[in-house]
Amino acid sequence: MRRDIINAPAIEFQDVSYRYPRTKRWVLTHLNFKIEQGEFVALMGENGAGKSTACLMMNGIIPNSVGGRLAGKVLIHGLDTKETGISVMATKVGIVLEDPETQLFTTSVKSEIAFGPENLCLPVEEIEERVQWALDVVRLTGYEDRLPSSLSGGQKQRLAIAANIAMRPDILVLDEATSQLDPVGVEEVLQVVHDLNKKFGMTIVMATDASEMIARLMDRVMVLDAGTKVVDGKPREIFSNTGLFKKLMIRSPQVSQLAVQMEEAGHSFTEFPITVSEANTCVQELLKGTRVSTVEANKKNGVVSEESAITVEHLDYIYQPLNVHAVRDVCFEIKQGEFVALIGQNGSGKTTILKNLLGLLHPTKGKVVVAGQDTRTTAVAEMARHVGFVLQNPDQQLFAETVEDEVAYGPKNIKLGQELIEKRVAESLELVGLEDKRKEFPPALAKGDRAKVVIASALALDPSIIVLDEPTTGQDYRGCHQIMQIAQSLHEQGRTVVFVTHHMALVAEYAQRVIVLCGGKVLLDDVTESVFSKPDVVRQAYIIPPQITELGQALPPELGLPPTPLTVQTMSTAILDRLNHRD
Amino acid sequence: MSSLIAYYPGKTIFHRLDPRVKIIFMLLISTAIFTVKSILIAGLVLLLMVILWFVARLPLKVLMSFMKILLGIIFFLFVVQAILYPGDTPIIKPLIPIGNGIGQITLEGILFAVLLSLRLMAMIILLPLVSFTTPVQSFALGMVKMGLPYKLAYTMTTALNLVPILQAEIGVIVDAQRLRAMKSFEKGKLGEKLRAYPALVTPLVIGSMRRAQLMAVAMDSRAFGASKNRTYLEDEHMETRDWVFLFLSVLITAGMIAGNYLF
Repeated sequence: MRRDIINAPAIEFQDVSYRYPRTKRWVLTHLNFKIEQGEFVALMGENGAGKSTACLMMNGIIPNSVGGRLAGKVLIHGLDTKETGISVMATKVGIVLEDPETQLFTTSVKSEIAFGPENLCLPVEEIEERVQWALDVVRLTGYEDRLPSSLSGGQKQRLAIAANIAMRPDILVLDEATSQLDPVGVEEVLQVVHDLNKKFGMTIVMATDASEMIARLMDRVMVLDAGTKVVDGKPREIFSNTGLFKKLMIRSPQVSQLAVQMEEAGHSFTEFPITVSEANTCVQELLKGTRVSTVEANKKNGVVSEESAITVEHLDYIYQPLNVHAVRDVCFEIKQGEFVALIGQNGSGKTTILKNLLGLLHPTKGKVVVAGQDTRTTAVAEMARHVGFVLQNPDQQLFAETVEDEVAYGPKNIKLGQELIEKRVAESLELVGLEDKRKEFPPALAKGDRAKVVIASALALDPSIIVLDEPTTGQDYRGCHQIMQIAQSLHEQGRTVVFVTHHMALVAEYAQRVIVLCGGKVLLDDVTESVFSKPDVVRQAYIIPPQITELGQALPPELGLPPTPLTVQTMSTAILDRLNHRD
Repeated sequence: MSSLIAYYPGKTIFHRLDPRVKIIFMLLISTAIFTVKSILIAGLVLLLMVILWFVARLPLKVLMSFMKILLGIIFFLFVVQAILYPGDTPIIKPLIPIGNGIGQITLEGILFAVLLSLRLMAMIILLPLVSFTTPVQSFALGMVKMGLPYKLAYTMTTALNLVPILQAEIGVIVDAQRLRAMKSFEKGKLGEKLRAYPALVTPLVIGSMRRAQLMAVAMDSRAFGASKNRTYLEDEHMETRDWVFLFLSVLITAGMIAGNYLF
């Protein structure tokens, strides 16, 4: 790796403040930090804290390409980004963005990687060599001629990394680059990032909240809040800082959450854990000399009736004209009042199945009956009265000028009376907690609120079934839990809730039942606990159980702790229970 | 509906042609087809397009789906032309004579309708024949070699690339409206449908702008337009087959135009 100025830090922010063009709000305020060459730093914080802005500043896209007002200095190896051309910066800092689609724009893996070096006017032999090297590093050798759009999510992000490292930067910035991926996809990307850091000494900055996955890889965590740095330190120090986590909603590893809960109950672990193996040792030491007590199984409330809400019989779906067989012989029945998660790899058929439930797609073979209606013969607009379907991206579902008009849009379409519309709007907004935002322009709301408006809009039709397609993607920790709390309260009202997500901690905490899809087929369909008790099976579907469940599985069975704990709470209660029975 | 713009990877001779040749081929044929007045020649051109479709090993199903969409338009053209085209050989006379031959279906009218349909079908195969077999970056390279500045060429091809993405996006937004019990897209009257469309605009514009911004960030981060020159990993050189194909294209075009005087 090249060093331009040996003594200067890789990245230095000197009293940086910034606001976007045509806005008044300072997104970053007096931000100061240094990152040395070879460090692996995680940038954490809630949505709107300024993480993405800080990332885009590191390669000079802000302000050179975006504009806006930048006070202070951003120095990369001592070079002021404001005075350095974007193309020069591109050879020093690579950046991988959240959405795989927008950063891949050619028609083959090879040409995607060659795009940057070609722009740098490098000789053909050199480009060929760099392409091969980059392919090797991200483990995509053999994929040269594939269409980027045909790759899986994890492969796409690895390709985006390859396309950046082919320009031989010594810093790689990843802005939420794993947040749309399934757990195994996240693991694949992190493995590559880890190699770049360890083998090639590359500086890594990762804005992410996948703290469990990166805990063992990173050297340092920097937490931003409202545009400024709140804390900066080693992962163990940060995750054990209980005061911080009371103030900010940031995802710390579940085993760290467990340690915090134990501490609050007056029992300290010998060492503060951030990984499963550390927690394993800690728990065993803490429980030395205690007696085995009876374990209570996880219980989830909600009333399930005998009435069928959704029946899918031998569903096959083939996308035309290219004959893509997305769903094969899928059968399941969901009773009214159930809370079900549909999980699996990107492209495993989840969204196709959901679309079949609403009649947005019609089965190629088989039959789908929802709320007593055969979807083949019922119009989508009619189905919408029985099933509230919230699509993945809220921004594609906001049409109105104000939040209240948005929510009233559905009821108006089915021609409800003015009074009833008012009532439905008020109830729906109350349920999602947006009563005070009635007059606002929906697209201008914060990300979490936009998602809630869309949920309220579906609820305004008073459906007995709610289907949520990746409602938590792109949401921060607070947003995820708020949305799942809403789903939980709908479930408690007796509605059927079906959701798709890649966040296994949320599946474990909220779902009663899990349907695991793999290659368009049902791999497992069971209560949540038994699904996660088979880690080897779910791994085929690119699923990794939540960290706390992994801890439960790693602990020796003779300790008598729950073998498949679904939440941190279950685990801490069980441990405390044991400690209270100490001889 | 299938998009006209997409790339179907392949290694056929048609895929490997120099993009310049394909661009010229497309321009020549699409201009000449409008001058063709003979059904025989229009039919031969259509046949040629279909043959090339198979040479390029493009999926037959996609071709059929285009034809299905065209069927409605062709039928409409047929009826209009058959009724309105002035001719001397009536086949079916109108029940009530209107005068001036309007309303009577003539042999000439039918022949003209057949000609129009053949032209239309040939055109609708021609465009995807080229766009399906040429990766965007070769398109851009072709245009650069024909004298366009790189940034302009690449921006144009990227815009083309966005068409299918936008189509998909419109599809999702329409779905989102249907999910909120909007019936107009399913069985509404035309007036109702038109009233439903403005609601598409906000999400579409916001979505496209956001996408364009992110794409610009990604391209800038990869040194797009760093200098006027640039290396091309897969450089294009005119080879014998390209010259032959170019020669044939010119010959076919000349034949199409000359045919007007012969038949």
